[in-house]
Amino acid sequence: MSELAAPPRPAPALAVEALTYAYPGAAPTLRDVSLTLSPGEFALLAGRSASGKSTLLRAACGLVPHFHGGEIAGRIEVAGIDAITSGPSKLAAVVGYVAQDPETQVVSTTVAAEIELPLEMRRDPPTSRARAVEEVALALAIPHLLDRAVDTLSGGELQRVALAAALVTRPRLVLLDEPTSQLDPVAGDELIWLLRRLNEEWGVTILLAEHRLERCLAAADRVIAMAAGSISFDGNPRDFLTWAQAADQALETPAAKLFSLCGIEPLPIGVRDARRTLASSSAADRGEVDPLRTACTFSSPTSRRQQSHSPPKKLREEGVRLPSTTALRARGLWVELTQREAPRDVLKGVDLDLHAGERIALMGRNGAGKSTLLRTAAGILGPARGKVDTPGGIALLTQNPSDYLVRERVGDELPGAEGLTALRVVGLEQKVDADPRDLSGGERQRLALAIALAGQTKGDELPGLVALDEPTRGMDRARKDDLVGLIEDLSRQGAGLLVATHDVEFAAAFAQRVVLLGDGVVIADGPAAEVLSGGWYFATEVARVLDLPGVITPKQGADAIRAEAGDG
Amino acid sequence: MRSPFAYTPRPGPLQSASPGAAVVYLGSLVAVAFIYSNPIVLLAVGLAVVMAGRIAGAQRAVRAALWMGLTLALLIVAVNALVVDRGATVWVRLGEWPLFGQVDVTAEAIVAGAVLGLRAAVVMVAFAVYSACVDPDRVLRALRPIAGRSALTATLVSRLVPVAAADAARLRDAARLRGPGAAPVGKAPLARRLLAGSLDRAVDVAATLELRGYSLGVSSSATGATRFPPYRWTTRFTMGRARARSRYDRRFCVTGVAVLAAAIAGKALGADHFAEYPATEIGTGATTLVVSAIVALSGFAPLRRKPSNSPRALRWMRNTHKTEFSRGASHV
Repeated sequence: MSELAAPPRPAPALAVEALTYAYPGAAPTLRDVSLTLSPGEFALLAGRSASGKSTLLRAACGLVPHFHGGEIAGRIEVAGIDAITSGPSKLAAVVGYVAQDPETQVVSTTVAAEIELPLEMRRDPPTSRARAVEEVALALAIPHLLDRAVDTLSGGELQRVALAAALVTRPRLVLLDEPTSQLDPVAGDELIWLLRRLNEEWGVTILLAEHRLERCLAAADRVIAMAAGSISFDGNPRDFLTWAQAADQALETPAAKLFSLCGIEPLPIGVRDARRTLASSSAADRGEVDPLRTACTFSSPTSRRQQSHSPPKKLREEGVRLPSTTALRARGLWVELTQREAPRDVLKGVDLDLHAGERIALMGRNGAGKSTLLRTAAGILGPARGKVDTPGGIALLTQNPSDYLVRERVGDELPGAEGLTALRVVGLEQKVDADPRDLSGGERQRLALAIALAGQTKGDELPGLVALDEPTRGMDRARKDDLVGLIEDLSRQGAGLLVATHDVEFAAAFAQRVVLLGDGVVIADGPAAEVLSGGWYFATEVARVLDLPGVITPKQGADAIRAEAGDG
Repeated sequence: MRSPFAYTPRPGPLQSASPGAAVVYLGSLVAVAFIYSNPIVLLAVGLAVVMAGRIAGAQRAVRAALWMGLTLALLIVAVNALVVDRGATVWVRLGEWPLFGQVDVTAEAIVAGAVLGLRAAVVMVAFAVYSACVDPDRVLRALRPIAGRSALTATLVSRLVPVAAADAARLRDAARLRGPGAAPVGKAPLARRLLAGSLDRAVDVAATLELRGYSLGVSSSATGATRFPPYRWTTRFTMGRARARSRYDRRFCVTGVAVLAAAIAGKALGADHFAEYPATEIGTGATTLVVSAIVALSGFAPLRRKPSNSPRALRWMRNTHKTEFSRGASHV
């Protein structure tokens, strides 16, 4: 009887052993990192900003040390190829890399040419190139984009094209560095589930670095958490949540926080898991009653309170001194922009009022008109019809704070007493002599805001309206919490806040009111608790778990569950 | 906002034609503009390129090029009128000018300047149509076997120039949004910031190229790459997507060759009769008119052929289906 030989075990998709790395002239960014990814795994890389996630991804694709230089020790292999001795070009055959900003990783003028480029580089014949481009375009549902110019694509489309260019060589391992940070919730969710499908159907190993863990935890098989350049946790998503609860609460997902506040176990890795757990615990407690139906019948005290209050009234109750002034008034606002060679109405008759001290989150899909509304309010764009007025002035911080920083000393950007006042408003008065490039990301953002505010502050009074465009791109939760604090401070000093954002959890944390734009039209405008609890995409994780009107944050959810338990 | 001359993919024949065919077609019209001085023929070339651009959907490019071309033409007319004092018909005597000497504006100098300006405008429109309708990636890919690195550099430039323009627009907006108490931003700091941003982008692009395998000297078969097997069907399918021929290639090539042949034959037969000085003479003979007509008609080359569903054909199809249906019904 002949014995069947066991098939040879494939090399790990990624094997890292005692890896330590320092950028030139800097302290080590990675310290003694060891991990192994098996073929077909979907791993999520979690951690705060500057914890070493991006550097680890760059080491796995060979950019570290070959492109960035520096000192490296240890071993890193991708599909059996030594990444330290081989350069990124050799590794390109087995590893694909997608960065945070798709704009920086597109080098051709048309989509088809961009996807085909890696195959051309490795001198594949036209025959196999054609097929590979077709296959990857079909897999990512972008065949209709192949003939488009890359500068006419939306952020979500461009990110898919970058992913296609990374996948076209059929790599064993795909590395993604915060690929959803610039996408709206719809495009972000689509991308994560697309990755999951590629992982399941093609067997591609995926290592995904993300800050918004609630978006991708359910899709992952494994979570690797990093802190200060080392691996602080490596295990399955459920164990990760238990670990985060004790070790770093900034990494907890909203649903997990909700469960931990209520003392419910096990912590959920996603909305479906949370609903199942709630359903089973409720059924066990009260017989076979459908818990979600039951949950929907009670109304939370929080939601009743929030729905009945208009935002200014609520602020007055909070003790905020509110001048009865309007910070922004838009009436029948139409704005036309030329996009893809043709003029298009980006805003279509928008009416909006924002009062001093009020905090509004402006939400909607990419291209819905959020930035256009802010830019029109700031006078950068002119309306085609209608009127927009900011009686108390406006300070607008655009998506890229670095655009405001043109000098090499903070004090040179903001000279004199007015500059110092603006720095004091954002809490940077101690950094007058610093070089803006030496500031952290959050400090640079505050400095840019101070530049926009300078000269518009009268004593303690701020401009009527402070507008921020996508301020949380690439931020971890701790930095988002700092930003929420700053927004509340500005609001307390009497400024109206209008913040365009895709981040529903961030909006739930700061906003009193949410305005939802859809294709240039206001499709929802109401208290944050109401708008963020009434949908699928523009709803917080807690709202999707509990499906209760007005309940959007873990604390509100925990109150509602406790109230229901008390009633029961 | 995108430049009007930026390539915009459209489903038209000129856009789907291979770069070679488009170059033959538009190049033949540019060649005629250089070969001929007769303004009737030049006007015909102008008409052809404007029509070709409009049919191909590049109206913005044509408009912008016409605006620029006619401005340049006016400048040429003015300079020629002031600098050249040849010509029998003096319209204005402007007396002695420093450097110029005696300045006489003659009708012939104005006409000669107008012809030069017309040629410049026509050539600009032709290049604008080329730029807006021919995919630079395909052109550069065609050049890669000859000069790979230069072609790739040109690809990067064609991508990064509009990106730098967008960066500059963003920086200008940020400068406008600075509060009145912030230090004002002059052009020099803005330019420095733009340069620094462009260098950062260049580093990102270099990293991306590395990741795409730019410095891969040899075929990567030894490195464990997975490849799709090439098609082994018919030769019709063996061209890559970007190199696939268009069904319009022959039309553009034939039109280009016909225009060039007619122009050369016409030139030999005296169709280009035009004298600027001492008195303007413009040939209007039959050969000139025939050459002009052929050139002007070539502007229709980018017209899309409609599918053959003429009312007659549709009627026939409907009748056929009706017959088959009624046959089926009778069986039932």
